Amino acid sequence: MTATGKSTSAKNTKTPVLTESGSLIKWVQTILTLGIFLAIFGAAVSSRLFSVIRFESIIHEFDPWFNFRATKYLVTHSFLEFLNWFDDRTWYPLGRVTGGTLYPGLMTTSGAVWHLLRRIGLPVDIRNVCVMFAPAFSGITALATYHFTKEIKDSGAGLLAAAFMAIVPGYISRSVAGSYDNEAIAITLLMVTFMFWIKAQKTGSILHATLTALFYFYMVSAWGGYVFITNLIPLHVFILILMGRYDAKLYSSYTTWYAIGTLASMQIPFVGFLPIRSNDHMAALGVFGLLQLVAFGHFVKTKVSSDKFRVVMIVSLALILIVGVAALFALTYFGFIAPWTGRFYSLWDTNYAKIHIPIIASVSEHQPVAWPAFFFDTHFLIWLFPAGVFLLFLELKNEHVFVIVYSVLCSYFAGVMVRLMLTLTPVICVAAAVALSKVFDVYLDFSHTMKDKKVNVSNLVSRLLVSSTFIFYLVLFVLHCVWVNKMAYSSPSVVLPSTTYDGRTILIDDFREAYYWLRLNTKEDAKIASWWDYGYQIGGMADRTTLVDNNTWNNTHIALVGKAMASPEEKSYEILKQLDADYVLVIFGGLLGFSGDDVNKFLWMVRISEGIWPDEINERDYFSASGEYRVDAMASQTMKECLMYKMSYQGYPELFGGKGIDKVRGQTLLPDDVLPLDYFEEVFTSENWLVRLYQLKKEDSEGRSLKDVGDYERSTSKLNKKKNFKKPDLDLRV
Amino acid sequence: MLSIFITFFLFLGGYVYAASVHASKTLVFYDERLDQLDSFSNFLSDLKDREYELDYYSANSTADIELFEGENRLYDNLIVLPVKGKHINKLVSDKTLLQFYNDGGDILSVTSPSAVPDSIRLFLNQLGIFPSPKGYELVDNVQGSLKIDSSDFRDSRICAAKYASSITLNGASSALLDNREQIFPILAAPRTSYTKATGKDSWSVGSQGFLATAFQNLKNARVAWLGSVDFLKDEFYGNNGNFVQEIAKWVFQEKNVIKSVDASHFHVDGTSYDEVPYKIKDAVIYEVGFSEWNGEKWVPFITDDVQFELRMLDPYYRLTLKPGRQKDEIQYYTTGEFRLPDHHGVFTFETDYKRDGFSFAVQRDVRPIRNLAHSEYARSWDISNAAVYLSSIFSVIFAWVIFIIFFITASPVVNKPMNTNKKNN
Repeated sequence: MTATGKSTSAKNTKTPVLTESGSLIKWVQTILTLGIFLAIFGAAVSSRLFSVIRFESIIHEFDPWFNFRATKYLVTHSFLEFLNWFDDRTWYPLGRVTGGTLYPGLMTTSGAVWHLLRRIGLPVDIRNVCVMFAPAFSGITALATYHFTKEIKDSGAGLLAAAFMAIVPGYISRSVAGSYDNEAIAITLLMVTFMFWIKAQKTGSILHATLTALFYFYMVSAWGGYVFITNLIPLHVFILILMGRYDAKLYSSYTTWYAIGTLASMQIPFVGFLPIRSNDHMAALGVFGLLQLVAFGHFVKTKVSSDKFRVVMIVSLALILIVGVAALFALTYFGFIAPWTGRFYSLWDTNYAKIHIPIIASVSEHQPVAWPAFFFDTHFLIWLFPAGVFLLFLELKNEHVFVIVYSVLCSYFAGVMVRLMLTLTPVICVAAAVALSKVFDVYLDFSHTMKDKKVNVSNLVSRLLVSSTFIFYLVLFVLHCVWVNKMAYSSPSVVLPSTTYDGRTILIDDFREAYYWLRLNTKEDAKIASWWDYGYQIGGMADRTTLVDNNTWNNTHIALVGKAMASPEEKSYEILKQLDADYVLVIFGGLLGFSGDDVNKFLWMVRISEGIWPDEINERDYFSASGEYRVDAMASQTMKECLMYKMSYQGYPELFGGKGIDKVRGQTLLPDDVLPLDYFEEVFTSENWLVRLYQLKKEDSEGRSLKDVGDYERSTSKLNKKKNFKKPDLDLRV
Repeated sequence: MLSIFITFFLFLGGYVYAASVHASKTLVFYDERLDQLDSFSNFLSDLKDREYELDYYSANSTADIELFEGENRLYDNLIVLPVKGKHINKLVSDKTLLQFYNDGGDILSVTSPSAVPDSIRLFLNQLGIFPSPKGYELVDNVQGSLKIDSSDFRDSRICAAKYASSITLNGASSALLDNREQIFPILAAPRTSYTKATGKDSWSVGSQGFLATAFQNLKNARVAWLGSVDFLKDEFYGNNGNFVQEIAKWVFQEKNVIKSVDASHFHVDGTSYDEVPYKIKDAVIYEVGFSEWNGEKWVPFITDDVQFELRMLDPYYRLTLKPGRQKDEIQYYTTGEFRLPDHHGVFTFETDYKRDGFSFAVQRDVRPIRNLAHSEYARSWDISNAAVYLSSIFSVIFAWVIFIIFFITASPVVNKPMNTNKKNN
């Protein structure tokens, strides 16, 4: 952790006094570096605490609730029980082999932290460990980024990169306090793995390669995004080979990493045999094979003349290429290698998911990114980023190739999927830090301004101008980051902030209100049907069994719930009864103006179930005659009859005395638009109508359909008399 | 408090004396304008013999009658004899009757062509029984008069066929029935009969009409409807008495009352689910007991058609249970040993015993069946196919050791000529 005097001073704008003893400088440097790291760590953690300060210490959003629940399971059970955990409270009645279908890295890490804290006499609640997990790890990420960038350029750039990484919104978006998600630890591991890889390929050290493999294993255990490393490192090696930069260091580092890393990654139950069966991992295997051949070629080269070698090489290369590609096709065709997954296809063709796999397209974080988001998430780093990459091109050492490959690949992926912005952010920080430190190297160096005891004015002015401009940008960057972190990325989305008419901020707490209602008022084994978005939250907060959740492993089951929501109630009732559901939960934002509600998500439910039952569900039926998505009197009959519509708007017009204004859709509903519910019974509606809960009525014990029961109960006796004097229209009794 | 006391008292009273499984406080609605109570004396005294506590209420009277006090049902049984007019009582509407029935009260309803009150008709309509309205009468112009024979009898195991052959009726109304499975028809109208009313189409034709039918709801409360008051009358009691008493016994829960108890399942070695949760392919046993009320006490219920179902969305097993041990009043039925499916999930262990004429008995237990834990798979040396992989692993290890030995013991001079070679190139 030694920094050169130049960059340390650059950061502190304090030129070191030339002292007679070099060791003093070293001491000052060390202390300064340490101080800077402490500051970076403090900035990283504190800027992530907005969510706790503005709201409370609470687990955020959706996926973190599952991770939290799994962590609780881990600390209350043994590790082996966790590993073999069969979860009968989700995906009812299928259940989920949770232990074998999750990435355990996050839970085991926080479990270990929890045990450690207890061991040293700090019995901290597991929730607080989980909430503070991401901020703590972001500090380590900054450290890893420092070492990574130090290998790329120097420690000055490293410190800048670490500082950027600490507060850049693109990373904070997934690592605020309470955002207890796989990414919280995965980005740290990503940077550590890359850092060790750069060191390994530089030195050829087996120790570093082994460390790369170990952290790669840790990464595999923590996040599905490990495939990114699995492909990036081989790609780096492949390009280096193409550039003719093969050497023994590359060979020893890559083969060590691949052999240990692959074997280790196969120990994660969820990954299992994927590394040798899935196409996503074939590049690594292919490069491994290629590297053996190249090594062999080099060996041959030392034995034969170069003319002969050229012939041998060309022939063998062509042969290998043909055999390799043919083998890949054949193995995929015969099913030995799993074909590419849908998520992979959607990386190349952004429309693929929309057409073929609506369930992937429906996830908001799988949508293509909006261009302003790049600036929003990285501020001025985004335009320093290409400059940094360009500067690396000028030098083009082996490790620079790595950063270039990384930045090119990730820029593309981030453009396709919002969530991959996260993997792009570190390389933006690194490249921008390289560019900026280059600028500072030149313009903060005032040693040439004093020439022959005369001040070179133009030189001084230009240096001051450029460096102060960039320092101004840095200040702006900090302001921007703090503002974005505070305003955009700190909301837990379980509690919604809102403003009253007189400007006061109030918190909308409907979700928890409803979940606690469920917890207190329903049987412990009650099954709650809801759209999958809320599965994890129901499991985590209400502790009730759910039919589908955010682990979208079974498309058919989700489509079944979607079908229940999209069908008329008698059909829905049949489906939900078959699934043993007791309650149905819908999110309705019409009163509050909350646009992420179920009516707006409804078309995805229709699309997903249409994918399975195209002859029963048809998306077009849910639009009005003129092709609009309407919920008022102009809504189509299918729309008005479907369960989602009835449940969302049940009793809503009456709330306004007959004219219900849906604030999200901006449409007005009349009491006649909302048909009565016969098969379901409203049991709870939260304060702002955000969450509505319905119970499935019991089957009629006289065997009537519940619609008949409803009709009977609504009818007056006079009406009955007239109607029923007619001979009933019955089927022949046999 | 009072209600609890009343219920307890009624229960106790019923348990000690009556032949019915529940207490037998019975309210009889009748209409003096049509028939005096005396004309049903045989029927009523038969009931009294079996310790029925009878209250009478004439539709003609002006006194108020309530079936409920607050939420408590005041009577266990209701007998509604033909009543002229639209209501049997202003306070007893069809909805009240339905409430009474849903609350577990049993109802024996008798209508006649001239007396089909709306409340009764609407109540029966809700059960899928559609008696012909007032003014319709069942006639048989081929045979001259209504003649019931054994072909009109429908065996719903409510009464024996022999009692049906002697039935004699003067006039009757018939009912149409829908195809609900909870309806147990007892007596169909003769094939050559039809329902006639002046100026209207016939209500039912031939055996699509019914003279007597029973109904049981999912809570096992029972209703029987008879299409003629002659079933109960003293003048035909010699012919119809046995038939009617059988129906009364059935509807007031004296016979065909069964219950399933003690449904349990466990590992073959006797350990329960709570001790050792099930995993896939475990061998387990399912067992369920059945008892029947014989009019005095619970006795073992003997049958051969009890089925067990293991279900997760779809049935994975449907086994007919074999009679097993007998304990006091319980006959146990068992699946014997069977293997859980090779599929993890949350399964329902279920016996759903619903047979015509008998109480419905449903037992359901939902249990997760877990997947194999990491240590429960067969080890590699137990799998014969794995020999290939095992031998390759060990041969590589062996080869590596040999290589290392040679590498260490070989002389280290090999490198020199290689270097010169390279220079030559």
